[in-house]
Amino acid sequence: MSNFKNVVAFTLSNKVRAKSFVITTLIIAIILSVVVNLPYIISQFSSDEPDKLGFIESNVPQVSAELKDYFDTQENSGIKLVSYPDAGSPDANEKALKDAMEAGEIKGYLDYVQPEGAAFPNVVIKSEDLLDSMSGAVSTGLQQIKMEMVLQDAQLTDAQREMLFAPVDVSTVQISTTGGAGSVGDGKTPEERGLAMGLVYALIIVLFMGVMISGQLIASEITAEKSSRVMEVLVTSVSPLTQMFGKIIGMLLVGLIQIGVYVVVFLINLGLPHNSEMLSEMNIDLSAIDPMLLVYAAIFYFAGYFLYATLFAAVGSIVSRTEDLGQAVMPITFLSLAGFYIAIFGMTTPNATFIEVSSFIPFFSPFIMFLRIGLSDPALWEVLLSIGILFGSIFLFGWLSARIYRTGVLMYGKRPSFKELRKAMKAYKL
Amino acid sequence: MNPLVVDKVVKQYGDKTAVNGISLEVGQGEIYGLLGANGAGKTTTMRMVLGLIYPDGGSIHYNGKPYSKEQLRNMGYLPEERGLYPKVKIKDQIIYLAQLRGMDRKTADRNLKIWLEKFNVPEYYDKKVEELSKGNQQKIQFIAAVIHEPQILILDEAFSGLDPVNVELLKTTVKELRDAGKTILFSTHRMEHVEELCRNITILHRSNPVLQGSIKEIKKQFPKERVMVGIDGTLTGLDKLPGVKQVIQHENGFEVKIENAGAAQGILAHAMSQGEVTRFEVMEPTLNEIFIRSVGEKIE
Repeated sequence: MSNFKNVVAFTLSNKVRAKSFVITTLIIAIILSVVVNLPYIISQFSSDEPDKLGFIESNVPQVSAELKDYFDTQENSGIKLVSYPDAGSPDANEKALKDAMEAGEIKGYLDYVQPEGAAFPNVVIKSEDLLDSMSGAVSTGLQQIKMEMVLQDAQLTDAQREMLFAPVDVSTVQISTTGGAGSVGDGKTPEERGLAMGLVYALIIVLFMGVMISGQLIASEITAEKSSRVMEVLVTSVSPLTQMFGKIIGMLLVGLIQIGVYVVVFLINLGLPHNSEMLSEMNIDLSAIDPMLLVYAAIFYFAGYFLYATLFAAVGSIVSRTEDLGQAVMPITFLSLAGFYIAIFGMTTPNATFIEVSSFIPFFSPFIMFLRIGLSDPALWEVLLSIGILFGSIFLFGWLSARIYRTGVLMYGKRPSFKELRKAMKAYKL
Repeated sequence: MNPLVVDKVVKQYGDKTAVNGISLEVGQGEIYGLLGANGAGKTTTMRMVLGLIYPDGGSIHYNGKPYSKEQLRNMGYLPEERGLYPKVKIKDQIIYLAQLRGMDRKTADRNLKIWLEKFNVPEYYDKKVEELSKGNQQKIQFIAAVIHEPQILILDEAFSGLDPVNVELLKTTVKELRDAGKTILFSTHRMEHVEELCRNITILHRSNPVLQGSIKEIKKQFPKERVMVGIDGTLTGLDKLPGVKQVIQHENGFEVKIENAGAAQGILAHAMSQGEVTRFEVMEPTLNEIFIRSVGEKIE
């Protein structure tokens, strides 16, 4: 046991005191701070001025003037119409508006086209950017004007008018019918759903990065110990199992320290007055995070870490030279990449069959079952089954990796094939 | 009871036999030589003694007890392939290795300082291994093998790659350890070291022990077939004497190969009749010759 502690402590202190570790952690912490503050920084530079759109005064005046009034009276529409005098010909008009755009007076302009026989003109929004959001606002405005025009003759009372123009309120709440282990439970507003999605997204990335970076480090450290032959001394001092799991736990602690630093940096940044203001403006309440979701995040982080870390250790132990390592860990890298991308893909469709199936496959489940818990509502037995399979595979692959490790650390030369490895295991009486 | 007893140990890798029935006993305060060409099975034998791999047959006993994890603390190992963490400070890794073998931090630190002082390199305490020359890395490697005060020491090619000054330094140290009562299993290609250090040896050839016993006994088994003669003036007609196989003229005398020890007296008489003999010696066979004979003959 004391040897185990020694290995953990040695791994930990060597990594944490390394310049590279301190510098990387610092850089990522700085990047994180910048990203968290980015919305605020951007808002400092962008003005609240509405986007200006130009139009030719004389072109379909009964509609264009109405639309201008509409946007002038509307609050927070973000659009302001600017009229330009008729320059004589359509070409000259077009040119005048383009010049205005170039001069920065307007962002784009409206072109009214009155088709033969139609009562209402078509409108084309011309701009250098694609102003999809504007087209919605413009279309709403035009719809209202059109209705006004039609209704002018139908004598309605003010009350009827008001009712007609009052917007219909539609909102969505995600609910669940099963009452399972997921965080959906009694229903979720879009804000809560957004928060859950953000959290799931962040945690999946953290898990992926944690697994990949720590895993690679474990593998390369073991290979380095082998290629520098310090392994010869180590295996005669401490049992390979102690060595392997000591290293895995040591690296886990390194990863947790790093994550801890990032979380603290993140929270401090979010706690800055300008950011918390922005959060409350956006209706995001961090205390609304389901604590169970964080518990599941921890479970899946540890489980995923151990599953991948033992495999990385096994691969590291059969490679003799650091140069060969990249190729050897490729299959594991692909596995974790696959899990990660399926999860990202599943963010929008957490209830797809494909996602549900993947959430039981051990190498994917840390990502995907967690995603389902966060964004959908799997039954409790599903979650427990997935965790059970995951733990089972950790033991299976841990045992297998330990055997490979025990054999691999003593084998030098070219990377052994599975057959050679099996032979060696037999010879070493494992 | 000898601290290390290896009894008819066999190891097979697949259908290949790596070690075929080696037996040896190393007493307290003894250096036991394990000789053999490359691939003869020395490293496999050592690895079995270290408990890294288990023998397929036979047994190994440490102070009368079979192998167990506790034995590891009792053993020090200097591997043939040197290895230390290149980027870790010497104090950190040596103390770590000592701790892994059950020594507490404080004692390990004290021992490390004593050893560095002994090797005249106290300034390495705070340095990284990659900053040291190869010879000095060897010193540190040696310290790593002995820092935890093991009773049984296994030294694989202890002096390879060292300059003569450092060989002398390490040799003296190994002798001191022997005199302090350690049990040392020692392998090398350099026969002069074996002759100087070892009481008993085993010569391995292609997995088989071909020659075993005390160096004195082994030498007695081989006839004395070489005479060195030093003389003022010239010496002619040696090759005509009975029993003389070959005469080689050196800078300071003659080396005469003879068929049997009896021929030596004739050579002495012949030499004395020609001038003043300054040197006359019937040479024992060197271990080098014995090694080449016992291993080489098998190859033919």
